Amino acid sequence: MLLGLDVGGTHTDVVIVGKGGIVASSKVTTHHDDLLSSINAAFENVLKDVAIEEIKRINLSTTLSTNAIVEEKVDKVGVLVSAGPGIDSSNYAIGSNFHIIDGSIDHRGTEIQPLDRKQLAKVIDQCVSNGIRLFSGVTKFSTRNPAHENLIKDQLDDRADFVTVGHLLAGQLNYPRRIATAYYNSAVWRLYNDFANAIEKSILGNGVKARINILKADGGTMPLAVSRLFPVETILSGPAASVMGIIALCDISEDSIILDIGGTTTDIAIFASGAPLIESEGISLTHHLTLVRALKTKSIGIGGDSVIRITNGKVAVGPERRGPAMADGGQEPTLVDALNFRTIDYGKREASISGIVELARKHSIKPEQLAEESVTYAVRKIREEVEEIVREINEKPVYTVHEILEGKTIEPTKLYVMGGPAEALSDLLRQEFNREVVVPKNFSIANAIGAALTKTTIDVELFADSEKRVLLIPNLNIEEEIPGSYTLEDAKVDAQKHLSAFMERLGYDVSENTSEIIEAVSFNMVGGFMTSGRNIRVKCQIKPGISKDYPVR
Amino acid sequence: MLKAKNSVGVIFFPAFDWAISPSHPEREERLLYTQDQLREEGIFDIEDVVEYKPDIATREDVERTHFCIPDVERVITESHLISAGGAIKAGKLVFEKAEKKAFALVRPPGHHAMKVVHGNRGFCNINIEAMMNEYLREHHGQMRIAIVDTDCHHGDGTQDIYWHDPSTLYISIHQDGRTLYPGSGFTDEAGGPNALGRTINIPLPPQTSDEGFLYAIDNIVLPILEDFKPDLVVNSAGQDNHYTDPITNMSFSAQGYAKLNEKLNPDIAVLEGGYSIQGALPYVNLGIVLAMAGLDYGKVREPDYDPRAIAQDKRTTEYINRLADEVRDVYFNPPPRKGKVGEYEVRRKNIFYDTDMIRENQIETIMVCDDCAGVLKIETASSINDPSLCVEIPLDACDRCRSEGYRIFETGKRNATFKRCILMNRRDKEYLRT
Repeated sequence: MLLGLDVGGTHTDVVIVGKGGIVASSKVTTHHDDLLSSINAAFENVLKDVAIEEIKRINLSTTLSTNAIVEEKVDKVGVLVSAGPGIDSSNYAIGSNFHIIDGSIDHRGTEIQPLDRKQLAKVIDQCVSNGIRLFSGVTKFSTRNPAHENLIKDQLDDRADFVTVGHLLAGQLNYPRRIATAYYNSAVWRLYNDFANAIEKSILGNGVKARINILKADGGTMPLAVSRLFPVETILSGPAASVMGIIALCDISEDSIILDIGGTTTDIAIFASGAPLIESEGISLTHHLTLVRALKTKSIGIGGDSVIRITNGKVAVGPERRGPAMADGGQEPTLVDALNFRTIDYGKREASISGIVELARKHSIKPEQLAEESVTYAVRKIREEVEEIVREINEKPVYTVHEILEGKTIEPTKLYVMGGPAEALSDLLRQEFNREVVVPKNFSIANAIGAALTKTTIDVELFADSEKRVLLIPNLNIEEEIPGSYTLEDAKVDAQKHLSAFMERLGYDVSENTSEIIEAVSFNMVGGFMTSGRNIRVKCQIKPGISKDYPVR
Repeated sequence: MLKAKNSVGVIFFPAFDWAISPSHPEREERLLYTQDQLREEGIFDIEDVVEYKPDIATREDVERTHFCIPDVERVITESHLISAGGAIKAGKLVFEKAEKKAFALVRPPGHHAMKVVHGNRGFCNINIEAMMNEYLREHHGQMRIAIVDTDCHHGDGTQDIYWHDPSTLYISIHQDGRTLYPGSGFTDEAGGPNALGRTINIPLPPQTSDEGFLYAIDNIVLPILEDFKPDLVVNSAGQDNHYTDPITNMSFSAQGYAKLNEKLNPDIAVLEGGYSIQGALPYVNLGIVLAMAGLDYGKVREPDYDPRAIAQDKRTTEYINRLADEVRDVYFNPPPRKGKVGEYEVRRKNIFYDTDMIRENQIETIMVCDDCAGVLKIETASSINDPSLCVEIPLDACDRCRSEGYRIFETGKRNATFKRCILMNRRDKEYLRT
């Protein structure tokens, strides 16, 4: 049996799925300031009538890291960077202990200027005497040559409780994002590891002997042990759980739009030929761009509790949520109240009706018109945002003649809708989008189901320079010598080989995961008129997906 | 997060799967390290620096700019249409005000492609800046455009296309033709009879460095632009004048190029040549993007940059100072016109296509006209193509030149010497051929 637990803003949902389907589920309120108690309560509820030994795997999501970063309740971090020329590093200052060390490495990974060790030593002394024990080390082009980052880590030695080195986060090029991601990683490390300790204790205390994985924003998981080193990877995993849940609940094979209509927001995700799209650059958090891989989702301010407002005679909904719907005891009419007025029967319907009537009277329009226009506005806004995200995907730059000529575009043909108001809005959405709309059964626990069934994911970038005779897989910490005759085929084999070895070593479940090469290019490097070597880049991943053989439809 | 002062659209198209040949400088790898540098710097994360995909130029786009012999399909491939499409996209973005400025970082280049095209010369098949200009004029009407070509080689293709066009100012700063391909671009090449002083050549001596280039900008280009008052300023930003470039002899640097861009303040920049793909392109292009965005480029530097080592000598400085006076004069006091209004002036040309080893002969005839750019007739034959007749009725053609154009075309059709006759009637947007 597989257990999935998703911590949301309002509720924490948990589900146990067996080979015969859903075995147990529970929903508890999320206590924002004591996530552990919510998780423990959910566990207790759901483990009551279940054979504990049968639980093979626990996947859980947490909003701990996200909340800490958003609320600025993180530890101080000594951010040590080195870049040399280019855009000034001071533009990327983050945290209150940002230091630039002299030194530079170029785009080939050649050291142009050695790292200034004396300067580094002074900076470290300064940070340590300021009481800093957490550090991050990031240098430009470290994914082509990690020497300077490794030097920073070595020099910190045991004066640091924890150091995040940039090149271990991702093989992707983007120095500013690497700085922000490394900072966040160290900033939440202690908080996250305390939480991880508590979770482990509580789970083992309940007698469960399962693998524990943590959900990531890209719709996959990582083992708890790995999450202890990369807690930043646990941010913003919420929307991903629901998206993976939809995959479990529906057989999606075409280009589709997924809508999760919540209380405050609607989360939009796009599928291409049945597979969720990934945000290739990385997700952003509190206006800082990161390297954390995430599903390509967009959150818009239209939700069940979005307040209805009228400006200059025009009716609009959201983006604010000023409290629950009047049908749930709130003070101001919301989208749900408009739906209540028209078609559905939810909660205290009389409160919805009187709220709509009252607001309509204040603005001298008919209540039927107010309700109608509110709902129409919401549905139209959703369509506009979806069209924008699809357009953006189709306009994404490509870099080969082949892709310009042959490149596929996304043309979504179906909508899958989840969330409280999903049923009530399905007909209107069908009209607005002029496409088939599917509202899956069990959508109310889609997120927990998604959490339960989602598989581990990881992506790596291999970089080989046969002129320099070097191979690097930065986020696996692999640096090897290669012969001058190294080819693209060699690289593809090595990428998958190293990935498998890494996963086995760190406790990833390899039984149900196959890696795929998503990009493989080789460029001839020409010096004089002779080929001097090959510049090879291979991207390899375990893509997001759900465990088969667990029927939930 | 960094925010650009000027919104910049960057059309980045490195054509990673296309090359002229495996070890040719114009090959797949050319923009690879530039991409690495721009990605590592996080250039597209800067607010208001936006990356775009190129358009694909159409047959019509080509036919309004060039006479392709024997036809468009046989001298152009898709990669050229995409490169031109990148420039066209840049023009669209700026003209339709989607972005304040645009930079087409595309390959292959175009400034050696002339009005008549028999094949590839100087790595170019079609002139991507001309394609962009004429696209804009076709869709938005006549406009004054200034092209400042700072590629190390004289842009003889662009010069040829705009030789007779008084609405297009063509200024080229290049390494003196006595020392470098294509061996042209001297100060006395000043434009055809209807456009005298609208072609301006600034041939600089070898080993000119930042100081010389910037002096030319300050003392020749900017005063001329101020007088010409263009609607659009386009920089053909070839980067082969870099001190590390393998096929040229100048000493320009990334800092110099960024400063040039800041002074020139072009609306659009288009990549041309530049083959120091590791030591120059990543840094020069970073400098250009930052300069166009109005951001600080002060710390952009090549790993081996040493301004003292590449500084030009005194003689060069003095030479350029004297040259500046001479060149300014070409614009402000153009040479006297030869020929009478209503009569034809003839030029005979021999053109060598170095990449494809073709030799072309042209007899080019222009109507001397005070009311328009003048009807143009070109008889062309080459080592691989039989004689063809090409007739251009310009965009703002007067009635006389228009009738003449039709007359020449009809006469040509009856002449058995010509294998084909092509009419490019810009005024009525009519493109005919036999």
